[in-house]
Amino acid sequence: MLTALARESWPEFLSRNSIRNTRTDTDNPVSKAAAATRSTVPKFLESVEGNQNYPILLLTVLEKSQDEVIRVCSAVTFKNYIKRNWRIVEDEPNKISDPDRTAIKANIVNLMLTSPEQIQKQLSDAISIIGREDFPQKWPDLLTEMVNRFQSGDFHIINGVLRTAHSLFKRYRHEFKSNELWSEIKLVLDTFAQPLTELFKATIDLCQTHATDVNALKVLFSSLTLISKLFYSLNFQDLPEFFEDNMETWMTNFHNLLTLDNKLLQTDDEEEAGLLELLKSQICDNAALYAQKYDEEFQPYLPRFVTAIWNLLVTTGQEVKYDLLVSNAIQFLASVCERPHYKHLFEDQNILTSICEKVIVPNMEFRSADEEAFEDNSEEYIIRDLEGSDIDTRRRAACDLVRGLCKFFEGPVTGIFSGYVNSMLTEYAKNPGVNWKHKDAAIYLVTSLASKAQTQKHGITQANELVNLSEFFVNHILVDLKSPNVNEFPVLKADAIKYVMTFRSQLPKEQLLEAVPLLVAHLQAESIVQHTYAAHALERLFTMRGANNTTLITPTEMAPFTEQLLNNLFKALAIPGSSENEYIMKAIMRSFSLLQEAIVPYIPTLIGQLTHKLLLVSKNPSKPHFNHYLFESLCLSIRITCKANPDTVGSFEEALFPVFTEILQNDVQGIHSSSIPSSYMALFPHLLQPVLWERTGNIPPLVRLLQAYLEKGAAAIASTAADKIPGLLGVFQKLIASKANDHQGFYLLNSIVEHMPPIHHPVQEADLYFALPEASELQDHKICQEMFGMVVEKIVIPEVQKVSGQVEKKICAVGITKILTECPAMMDTEYTKLWTPLLQALIGLFELPEDDSIPDDEHFIDIEDTPGYQTAFSQLAFAGKKEHDPIGDAVSNPKILLAQSLHKLSTACPGRVPSMLSTSLPAEALQFLQGYLQAATVQLV
Amino acid sequence: MSKFKNKGKEPMKMRDRRIAECVELRKAHRVESILKKRNISLGDEEPLSPEYNTDNAQVITATIQEIVANVNSDCPEKQRQGCQAARKLLSRERNPPLKEIVEAGLLTRFVEFLGRHDDPTLQFEAAWSLTNVASGTSWHTQQVVEHGAVPAFIALLASPMLNISEQAVWALGNIAGDGPSYRDSLIDCGVIPALLARLTPDAPVGYLRNLTWTLSNLCRNKNPFPRFSAVQQMLPSIIQLLHHSDKSILSDACWAISYLTDGPNERIDVVIKTGILPRLVELLGFEELAVVTPALRSIGNIVSGSDLQTQAAIDAGVLSALPQLMRHPKSSVQKEAAWAVSNIAAGPCQQIQQLITCGLLAPLVDLLRNGDFKTQREAVWAVTNYTSGGTVDQVVHLVKCGALEAILNLLQVKDTKTVLVILDAINNIFLAAEKLGEVDKLCLLVEEVGGLDRIEFLQNHENNAVYRAAQALIEKYFSEDGEDQCLTTEATDANFVFGASEVQKRFDF
Repeated sequence: MLTALARESWPEFLSRNSIRNTRTDTDNPVSKAAAATRSTVPKFLESVEGNQNYPILLLTVLEKSQDEVIRVCSAVTFKNYIKRNWRIVEDEPNKISDPDRTAIKANIVNLMLTSPEQIQKQLSDAISIIGREDFPQKWPDLLTEMVNRFQSGDFHIINGVLRTAHSLFKRYRHEFKSNELWSEIKLVLDTFAQPLTELFKATIDLCQTHATDVNALKVLFSSLTLISKLFYSLNFQDLPEFFEDNMETWMTNFHNLLTLDNKLLQTDDEEEAGLLELLKSQICDNAALYAQKYDEEFQPYLPRFVTAIWNLLVTTGQEVKYDLLVSNAIQFLASVCERPHYKHLFEDQNILTSICEKVIVPNMEFRSADEEAFEDNSEEYIIRDLEGSDIDTRRRAACDLVRGLCKFFEGPVTGIFSGYVNSMLTEYAKNPGVNWKHKDAAIYLVTSLASKAQTQKHGITQANELVNLSEFFVNHILVDLKSPNVNEFPVLKADAIKYVMTFRSQLPKEQLLEAVPLLVAHLQAESIVQHTYAAHALERLFTMRGANNTTLITPTEMAPFTEQLLNNLFKALAIPGSSENEYIMKAIMRSFSLLQEAIVPYIPTLIGQLTHKLLLVSKNPSKPHFNHYLFESLCLSIRITCKANPDTVGSFEEALFPVFTEILQNDVQGIHSSSIPSSYMALFPHLLQPVLWERTGNIPPLVRLLQAYLEKGAAAIASTAADKIPGLLGVFQKLIASKANDHQGFYLLNSIVEHMPPIHHPVQEADLYFALPEASELQDHKICQEMFGMVVEKIVIPEVQKVSGQVEKKICAVGITKILTECPAMMDTEYTKLWTPLLQALIGLFELPEDDSIPDDEHFIDIEDTPGYQTAFSQLAFAGKKEHDPIGDAVSNPKILLAQSLHKLSTACPGRVPSMLSTSLPAEALQFLQGYLQAATVQLV
Repeated sequence: MSKFKNKGKEPMKMRDRRIAECVELRKAHRVESILKKRNISLGDEEPLSPEYNTDNAQVITATIQEIVANVNSDCPEKQRQGCQAARKLLSRERNPPLKEIVEAGLLTRFVEFLGRHDDPTLQFEAAWSLTNVASGTSWHTQQVVEHGAVPAFIALLASPMLNISEQAVWALGNIAGDGPSYRDSLIDCGVIPALLARLTPDAPVGYLRNLTWTLSNLCRNKNPFPRFSAVQQMLPSIIQLLHHSDKSILSDACWAISYLTDGPNERIDVVIKTGILPRLVELLGFEELAVVTPALRSIGNIVSGSDLQTQAAIDAGVLSALPQLMRHPKSSVQKEAAWAVSNIAAGPCQQIQQLITCGLLAPLVDLLRNGDFKTQREAVWAVTNYTSGGTVDQVVHLVKCGALEAILNLLQVKDTKTVLVILDAINNIFLAAEKLGEVDKLCLLVEEVGGLDRIEFLQNHENNAVYRAAQALIEKYFSEDGEDQCLTTEATDANFVFGASEVQKRFDF
């Protein structure tokens, strides 16, 4: 049971993009005996479970069997059966007969309460599943039946009742307010609140009578914890009248329990929270609930809870088992101290000092558990430390408290902490070998105090002005960075590196420049965390902006360290545990991008190392980010080298083709390719294979590649691979079937239409329409006609302004001009009403403010930030495609084209155009139009 | 959630949140005026003898037996004595024996005494006793009504003896306060004209206080509301009382208005047409909480009405009165003020603009930061309504005032609905940022103030709607994820098959 309680908290948070863990649907009995038959028996049982009386038989087995394993198995089977079948779904047959339902409800509570704990838990779950459907209307006596058991005096039974009640009521903590829900709660309160209060008092009395009996105490404290949880559920939605009237009883007892310690209940286990911790954590939650929601009523009690919780914090040790308690307790203080009317509770300098000294500082200390993670589980350590998935850790709670206190007391708090930072640094200086953790805490304290706002992309963006970051850097950070032995005190080194990274926007440039070669040196550290941080810090520094959208640190400034940097980065990849370290690979990519031609001399060695890496990872690609940066780095080396010396393309092809071919072929298993391709054309059919297109991540680069094929080799495809054209169109069809990728499909189609020789024009327009899934009804001609109007009215006119990009706008403009002036239907049919709005939309496209924000220089692009990024893939930022204007030669100025086309139209039907313009085109638009006509030196007639 | 997206289509849904809430877990609102009140003996009476002040059941039984004997006797003197003894018992501060008196069968006699015009003292004592019995639970009130007290009390309203008439007013107030059904039967018995007849310039203040309170109870309660004709009858007098100088009269008159406006728009219209809005706004500025609370409730009800009704309140100057109430020392006032603001923010963008112009955003953000939970909840609604109906510029302005940071901080509140409403507001703000092409900037801002962590954390929320909303925000703005394949394309090992799809799907604009 204890484990069940401990695990009841939030599911573990995995990572930013993680989708919540799927909750397990069915539990399997944990039983060796059952394991052997598990695979066949359940299938048989499920096949007969539709029979009437089946659940009753299960319960009978459960009750009567002498074999413990069989009993547990029937309990689990029963629970799963209930889970699958109890709910009555509308329009589906009732899967459990009514007599069975009645019999189950009549017997299950008693059965649950008289069963051993393991079975009790399963039946209790079953009751709550039934309760969710039937309680209260279809199971009116459930509560009374449960409440009556409070009188039994048997705490095994009482705990069973409490646990069941908890599983029935805990939904009150997260469901929306509704009359139905509140009526149920009201009913529960009416029957349950008073007996629960009596039980609470009686249990506390019993704790005193049995103060020396550890076994009794354990049972009683389990009850108290459950009672406290029930209190939380029943009080969550609103403060019930009953609990307001009985606040004195509850709060006084909660307060006493918080301050209570009993040696007998202390556990030796360092990891698992004991009964006392669980109970006190829940009481902290209860107090926090009241403080937050029922402030007015709770006010008289709050100060003593603040004191009690604070004393609790002061006396609670560093062991992991206290983490939840400490974190809850600190969060309680953090939420209270930023309330204006409680600030007086914290105002006193002595109180502030004590909180800082006894609550915050100790919880910022580097614990042995952290140390273990640093050494043995560095990947997780880095994620937690760098990416902030530390939401329920002690350190995080302590930081929140610092921030909370700074709301009203920034000056005093900063002052007090400065004192602590200094004394901790002095302690460290006395004996670094023993006291290095003091310095770690000092740095952490400075960081948490100084950070007011922070993002992944920019580090700290707003700092506490009372902290002199630059001075601290000079006096305490540089020392560690400069230390000749990079492998000494790795935690402090990592702290120092992180400091540079975190405060990069606050530190002056000369200090950053001073740090760069030192960071380069730390790339060689054995500690994974340390060299990872060094790589990450360099990468971040290289993305900082200087004047005029250039980098803050220039290639010239980097010149003296270039060789060392590249060397150390690649050496770091050879350190055990870092062979696929994405931070290092990202730093390589960013270094290439920053250094540009300065890397050319090293390319021969670098390209060898990169392709070698590529071959290795392609065998078992597991780190998508790493692979991505690897490709980026390859692109960069090709681009930079070829720019410096175009003749080198051949040597790259020589180096890379074997690798690429191998990778692609491996991905396309089962396809027979007899010889290694010697040309691009041989690769072409492979690119059309569905397997490659299954991964979303592959789609943008593959489309980009096919476009390049079409641009350069359309004729070759038409002549030597015409049989592949339907496959190419199949790709198009596949892409437009997806909302996420339809634009990719159209990119491809554009290239096909544009580059394929007309004679081989593979498709009739109608075929294309068929391919559009939404348009499959186009076979009906009438709808087709109406659709043109709808498209113009509902899509083109309202949406055209959203088109961005010079070329795209130009294409739209030319197209609309053609609809307006070369499409007879626009002049004399029901579409005519759309003519002027369409013209107006076109003028809007020309004249309304364009989104002219210049896209970021690609050097600064952070891959996680680019839209469309997902772990499986992404656009290689450094393999950008030059913008292509397919109508560049035909139309140079679309405004002039409009003027000329209108002129042509007006001469074809004199008088029509000016009249349409003067009746419904707004004056402003008309004015622009006249400008175009003048520029084109034409007049409408 | 979707109800906020169709702005302009269903504004009512955003506004009338109070009406749906019926089941209450809390104690009855302490700030509201009392439904029934007992006439408790005050200092000016002779001190109660010990026998009346005891909780000893035997003494009480003995006393009641004595009362029964006296009341049932034919001697007027004894009747008066018995009646007075009963009244004193019923006027004790603590534990008056209401039930015992009823069960002793005294009510028939008391009602009978109400008609004894020859003996005003007896009338008075009987009326007082019945008033106090009627002040008990519904069961007690029912006993009084079923003994035929209503017509007798209505008749007594016209008594030339002011204290008797006043006692009748009070008793009828208690009966009316019991609920819509007795309220309507009183109205059917013609209570309103009888009451209004006593509303004269020379009536003493104490009398008018009781009268106003009884009128307010006749306006009170829904399901059903008091009928329109009755409201029309009472309104002019209530309006007149709203200009009285006595604070207690003002308070009850305001409560009456608040009941009348707590309903559908037609009901609100009736009140607005009296032209009382400027006076209500003026009353918002009063010192006395007893006046401010019902005045604010009335205004809050009115701005939960149609756009036009809200505009009428704005035109009467409500927006200049609200900032001060949002900074009121009592959190209950702050909450009601924030509620009013939330309803104004649910209006068209012109009204939102007026919120800006009149300087309501700063106090609103203050409430988000420092208000108590109930106030914060209303303020959050205000932000969500504002961001769903406001123009892009208006939304930007609100963010600049600090509202975004404040609501992000509130993502940790222990109230599921509020969390969802905040997520909705965040989504609205992102939609505005999209229109401006400033999504990246907004993402940074959200992250800077710790909002991203909180939204991520909500992906683990037990409530599905909350976790889905949080996940949608993360997926849409903080990462890209997921395949959205809507149709499959047939494929062989080597190729995709190009051709018409089997699936028929409507092209629906």
